[in-house]
Amino acid sequence: MSTAHRPDTLSVWQVVELARHPDRPYTLDYLARMVPDFVELHGDRLTGDDPALVAGIGTWHGQTTIFMGNQKGRNLADRLRRNWGMMHPEGYRKAMRLAEQAVKFGFPIVSLVDTPGAYPGAAAEERGIAAAIAGAIMAWFEVPVPVVACIIGEGGSGGALGLAVADRVLMMENSIYSVASPEAAASIVWRDNARKVEAAEQLQVTSRDLLAMGVVEEVIAEPRGGAQTDYDGAARVLDEALWRHVSQLQQESGERLVEHRYDRFRYIDSLIGAHPHFGPKID
Amino acid sequence: MSAQVAHLTSARFGEPLPVVAVPTNCPGCGVGLDEDELRGNCYVCECGHHFRMHAQAWIALLADGGTWQERWADVRPHDLLDWRRPKPYEETLEQARDEGLNEAVRTGTAELAGRPVWIAVFDFRFVGGTLSIVAGERLARGLEQAAMTRTPYLLITASGGARMQEGVLALMQMAKVNAAVGRLHRAGVPYFSVLTDPTFGGVSASLALMADLTVAEPGAAIGFTGARVIKQATYADLPPGFQSAEFQLAHGQVDLVVPRTELRPRLAKLLELYTR
Repeated sequence: MSTAHRPDTLSVWQVVELARHPDRPYTLDYLARMVPDFVELHGDRLTGDDPALVAGIGTWHGQTTIFMGNQKGRNLADRLRRNWGMMHPEGYRKAMRLAEQAVKFGFPIVSLVDTPGAYPGAAAEERGIAAAIAGAIMAWFEVPVPVVACIIGEGGSGGALGLAVADRVLMMENSIYSVASPEAAASIVWRDNARKVEAAEQLQVTSRDLLAMGVVEEVIAEPRGGAQTDYDGAARVLDEALWRHVSQLQQESGERLVEHRYDRFRYIDSLIGAHPHFGPKID
Repeated sequence: MSAQVAHLTSARFGEPLPVVAVPTNCPGCGVGLDEDELRGNCYVCECGHHFRMHAQAWIALLADGGTWQERWADVRPHDLLDWRRPKPYEETLEQARDEGLNEAVRTGTAELAGRPVWIAVFDFRFVGGTLSIVAGERLARGLEQAAMTRTPYLLITASGGARMQEGVLALMQMAKVNAAVGRLHRAGVPYFSVLTDPTFGGVSASLALMADLTVAEPGAAIGFTGARVIKQATYADLPPGFQSAEFQLAHGQVDLVVPRTELRPRLAKLLELYTR
């Protein structure tokens, strides 16, 4: 972990608020800096296109790469259109359509996760959101090209996992990754989503927690004050970390990649307790 | 009907069902219940209401008498996150153990109508049948064994989703079990899932809907996000029957809706079709 990581200066809830900061860089902000010739591709070829997930292709470190990432909106109209980064089934099916393309052409895949969760609405249920997420999670295990995911803001629930079944999973310093959003978890265990702060503390959702649990490989230190203060700086450190992992993974055969990806998730819970920094932050 | 049910629960195929706790009146029709009669009818009321059954009852219903061999019952959950509120997780676990429960998933081998199968059953009584590290471990090990030995895999679900008290490690179980389901598929081994009331969240969005053949019980609530949360999040009015098994059949999410009293012969027949 980078020495620039300063988790102890912020409370858990302050990290949650930074992860959700309305000025935080989103996928398109990063792509504009990392992949100047990025071409967004649209649609799942079944139902429609999901604006909550941006996906496409571009040149990155001299090679063609598939990018996908959640996009939240900057203003109300934009947020409505992007559905606050909450995907419908079309989003997961678009992601897997592009993953298949990556396999066909041997392109690496970079996935940027920033979603409170899959859309909790009737339309998503009617079009099979559970099966779309389940199918994506299963399909990622059969993608014999490098896949690197980074939680850039919020990583909420199965909706986030559907985009984060990768060879390496990274987290921006002030991002969160959780089994459910703190509000949803509070609603489940207390039947009261006002207990979200306590829920967040107990769930252990910060990048430091996830690194200590062995669920992510690396935490990327953000510019002082958080990624929202310096988009160029945030894009630089994200780009550096992603490329370091992708270029390492490109040394491996496709067969080894899927074998290791299987083992990564099959034994992901075996590291718990092995890290000295791991532990609760409540009294 | 009664002759068929007697056949289903007879000693020759299965064992008589263990007792399942039920309310005094049926929530479906309001009529007072005769517990023995209900038990003899696989805990299905005359009105068609299917009562939730625990893991032992499911095993007795589906496994041929004396063939069930449970595996990994000794793998136990622990409080890894030091979860304290509103109730310490250790206390939740101890309470469940005091009630004689052993995790949200029980798994093992058995025969169904003479054919060897792997069976995994969710038990809703154990922290709402939630997917935990131990549940995920038992599922993944069973799926891997089934793939290796080319034994058909049968899953019975009843779950509210991932277990909050195990945090993101519970979430990771969705990937862990789906990886193993993928192996089962690549090995060409049949996988059937039976979705019972309720099946939601991390279980519906992982292995439950990835079977070759997905059966739902009549009236079972099945979905990703529960109706209460959908209403809270979107202020939507949900139509009657939203997320019912019949709704999911109409929306292309399940293959069949099969009454519990007919489930065993249907599964036996389908198993024959897939393993010939």
